[in-house]
Amino acid sequence: MDLKALKKQESKRKISKGYMWAFFCALFWGIWYLPGTVVWVLNPFDKMNSAIAETSGDGIALVVTAVLITAFNALTVMLALMVWNGVLGKYKELGRTLREFHTCSKWFFLASICGGPMAILGSFIAMGFIGGSFAAVAGLLYPVIGSILAYYWYGERISKRAAIGIAVIVLGGVSIYGGGLLNELSSGNVPWIGYLGGLMAAIGWGTEGAIAGKGLDISEPDAGLTLRFLGENIIWWIIIVPILALVGFPMYSFAVQAFEPLTLLILIFAGITFGFCYVTWYKSFPLIGVGRGQGIGNLYGFCAVIFIFLFFGDVPDWTIILGGLLCIAGSFIMFTEDTSALETLRGD
Amino acid sequence: MTQTAAAMEAYNAYWANSIIPAADVLWMVFILILAIVALWQARTFVSKF
Repeated sequence: MDLKALKKQESKRKISKGYMWAFFCALFWGIWYLPGTVVWVLNPFDKMNSAIAETSGDGIALVVTAVLITAFNALTVMLALMVWNGVLGKYKELGRTLREFHTCSKWFFLASICGGPMAILGSFIAMGFIGGSFAAVAGLLYPVIGSILAYYWYGERISKRAAIGIAVIVLGGVSIYGGGLLNELSSGNVPWIGYLGGLMAAIGWGTEGAIAGKGLDISEPDAGLTLRFLGENIIWWIIIVPILALVGFPMYSFAVQAFEPLTLLILIFAGITFGFCYVTWYKSFPLIGVGRGQGIGNLYGFCAVIFIFLFFGDVPDWTIILGGLLCIAGSFIMFTEDTSALETLRGD
Repeated sequence: MTQTAAAMEAYNAYWANSIIPAADVLWMVFILILAIVALWQARTFVSKF
């Protein structure tokens, strides 16, 4: 076998593994919506929501409760990632990547801002104000944002096939938002903050993917992703939660009460699913590129609807199903492009 | 803080309509199996690339 054939074989193996990681991401992300939904009805979050709603109104109560849930989610993700890195023997690499702040860590800390305060919080807001199925599929627009950013930032060319895929995803998003909005308008009750949460999720995850793609050029994904969650924990526990406590919200008293067996169990499963979803997402980027990784990862919406149907017995509205199917079709159009185009897409 | 009766009722209601028996336990079992498979694949990946 000559060198060219060996290189081709190696490339094929890498692409196949990349698709596998992206599919793992979709499965973990989809099933995260189970713990992510049920945690809202458990104490202390249920009591916290009611207590804040009495003084500050329902909207503020939901956002503040979502901040504490997201902060705990980030904490348990960090624990799950330490297990992941421990099993893979990556602690030394983790320390080495952490020390190289200026060259690579800065990208992961930036990614943590987009993925944390913007995307994850937005997803929780969408879930709390509208529902799990809506939240799952609302974020499906994120590859559109990722592709546009990659075009303007790296000079990544958008092929005709990719443009069609993006258009189909946009149509799916219109179906998701429009269908729900029409139903809400007809009932005279429009939870606009829920839609805003969905939009935050799409923009946040799309931007994060593009930024992470840049950071992963010079670092290893398992270690890089752990640093991204270190950054997110700093944002929640050292910046946002103390600020909310200073403003007068009872953040610490309810945070202490979260150490209850059932609540902790649910938070740990949220951490495992979200942590493993993220690490497999990041692992796919260097192998198949950010666009394809996001495209396959986008199947999480379909997975979430299936898991919610299987374990909750919830049958989603037809507009959400149609929107989800269109988004998945768009993703397939994007990632079934010729693999030889992968290396020439990057402009810099 | 222990869970109130209202919180437990709301929690159990989520799994009540599931088409899977013992759904309140099986979702966790499913996640654990998936996590172990992912870790095994990751270890294999580390040794091959």
